Amino acid sequence: MASWTRMRNLAAGVIAAAVLASTFGQRAGAEPVEIRITHSITGGTQKEALDGIIADFEKANPDIKVKQVVFDDDQYSDTGLITQLKSATPPDIYFQWAGFPMQRDAKEGFAKDISAEMDADGWKDSFLPSVWSPSMGMLYEGHPYLVPMTLDVTNVIWFNKKIFAEDGVKAPATWDEFMAAVKTLAEKGETPIVIGNQELWPLGNWASHIASRVVEPAHYDAAFKLQEPFSQPGFEKALTLIDDLRKAGAFNKDIAGLGADPAMSTFFQEAAAMHPIGSWLVPSANEMAEKDFDYGAFNTPLIDPANPTKDSVIGTATGFAVHAKSAHPKEAIAFLKFFTRLDSQVKWAEAGSFSPVKGAMEQAKLDDKTKQMADMLSHAGSLVPPPDTTYPVAVAESYYQAAAYVAGGEKSPHDALVWLDEHVKAMK
Amino acid sequence: MAIAAQNNGLGGGRPGEGAGIANLLFVIPALTLYALFVLWPLASSLYYSLTDWDGIGAPRWVGLANFTRAFADDIHLASYVHVTLYILGTLVFEVSFGLVMAVMLNSDRPGFALLRGLFFSPVVLSMSAAGVLWNFVFDYRTGLVNAMLKGIGLGDWAQPWLSQPATALICVMLVSGWKFAGLYMILFFAALRRIPRSLYEAATLEGAGPIRRFFSITLPLLKQNVLICGLLAVTGGFAGFDLFFTMTNGQPYNSTEVPVTWIVKMAFDSDQLGYGIALTVILTVVVSLISLLYLRFAERSHAVEY
Repeated sequence: MASWTRMRNLAAGVIAAAVLASTFGQRAGAEPVEIRITHSITGGTQKEALDGIIADFEKANPDIKVKQVVFDDDQYSDTGLITQLKSATPPDIYFQWAGFPMQRDAKEGFAKDISAEMDADGWKDSFLPSVWSPSMGMLYEGHPYLVPMTLDVTNVIWFNKKIFAEDGVKAPATWDEFMAAVKTLAEKGETPIVIGNQELWPLGNWASHIASRVVEPAHYDAAFKLQEPFSQPGFEKALTLIDDLRKAGAFNKDIAGLGADPAMSTFFQEAAAMHPIGSWLVPSANEMAEKDFDYGAFNTPLIDPANPTKDSVIGTATGFAVHAKSAHPKEAIAFLKFFTRLDSQVKWAEAGSFSPVKGAMEQAKLDDKTKQMADMLSHAGSLVPPPDTTYPVAVAESYYQAAAYVAGGEKSPHDALVWLDEHVKAMK
Repeated sequence: MAIAAQNNGLGGGRPGEGAGIANLLFVIPALTLYALFVLWPLASSLYYSLTDWDGIGAPRWVGLANFTRAFADDIHLASYVHVTLYILGTLVFEVSFGLVMAVMLNSDRPGFALLRGLFFSPVVLSMSAAGVLWNFVFDYRTGLVNAMLKGIGLGDWAQPWLSQPATALICVMLVSGWKFAGLYMILFFAALRRIPRSLYEAATLEGAGPIRRFFSITLPLLKQNVLICGLLAVTGGFAGFDLFFTMTNGQPYNSTEVPVTWIVKMAFDSDQLGYGIALTVILTVVVSLISLLYLRFAERSHAVEY
């Protein structure tokens, strides 16, 4: 009995010592809190800038570590993000596109309402007022769910200055001038426009911008919401413009099977005169193109002076959301506040991003191309978001497919629209 | 005696009834795993196929609407035509070519083992890597095929091989053949080694040439292997995805769209998981039916043989 009592006392002592040791141990060398951030920035100057900002944040906040979970762009949007959002241990912060995807996340309870955080310390006011306009898709039921990160021009026409100069072509201002330029380039044996349309969105984005310049905004919106058929004169005219380009020999022969990245490489290798793609070409060019590669950009030329969106830019905003079930929301917000600080955003802008933070673009030492994109955005009459971030993706993809048929000469504009209406009928 | 004791222990009435319950107890762990990992996913797939679900929000019951849509979806229907052509291609480029190579390389002479190894080597490469590799070969601007054609003065024959409907599917078939013919060659080679040499010697003595020996001895004795390889090619063809995904992603103009690429596009690219699952259910039914018919045919042919 005595030995049992001694053993019990010994055990109690060991447990007490262990508890004390663990308590003091935690205080003496506390593990930093780890927050996980998932995104699709895999490389280039933007990734370098993000890594730098994270390193600065960790230096300033030694009790917080930031772990990046990075996916390829397509993998991220297809399965990578959904899988993480629904997991038992979701990421604390995740990259998301404004508009339909963000609003869906907010509705389904994945994204945290950050109204209180935005209102505190004037954080919300540190951003350009325009990012909070309803059309930018940052708000859901009037509340912010996304911390603005970048404004992207999703389609602009990049051109090779050397080829243009050699063939006596100038950046066009109107569609007629554009067609004349294409014809001249084709006659000189150049590939006027290279597009890698294997995934449909590279041409689809541009084709929807062209449609938005031709179709009345109300009809454009109604068609993508499946409230009106696509088979209407405006959309037919838009696809006819693409058909005219095809007939003029504008596109590369492998447009339908070429990937988006190889198409960009083709442009960098000076094998095509023009390449319609988004503003993310700039950081890629910094990384992949030869140093003496000289290029410029122009917006889709004026098509219909009477259209209300005649001088629009097609673009979208992206941002970081805090997951509603984040285990460390305070630390996540602390990082996002650091990320959107003016000094961080100056670095972000200098990496080729259009910063949504006031003063960042003005203070940053921007290369000519980024500055041109910034000017294009700030001088645009309106911003047209791409259909795949605004409307149901299946409808947007179907329109992109119709445009692909026309660009490849597989269907006439009329037949492509008939196919489109038939194809989306089941989605209603 | 032991059975009687079991019966008594479990309180069974009629002889054998207790043994049945005991047996059931023994198979419960396996049944549980089967139910958990096979039956439950199947049942839940059937449920989700009857819903409108984007994978994020709550599924909405739509009954058979997804199936009605599937049978009106022109790209979905065309994908079965493409996969049928692809399977026919694999039967030629993989199974038939593998058989021919197995017969030609069925020798112990020096160098033949090395040749078999070289011919088998693409099998160990991942499908995605093979797809990316062959993309470079078929590339319109910088690819090896067009460079060769230009090099021998046939520049006019250079084509955007993966960007035109007439050639894209054939290119995928060729790459699939390059990738898998070696596997079928090894399967046939192992079977060839079991055919007694005396049969060939007797046939040779009676004046049979190589072609006659192939059709009269080799092919009949490899019949079962041919049927199994055919089944592998057919079921594997329906599951084909990686090569299509990396080489063409269903393009140009959906001409290389096969059921699985379309399912992935619908389920994940277009956020229509409910519809994608309905397409998966259809594919499962189609593949199961074809496999059953094929096996029935194979069994019958086996019965006739003996």
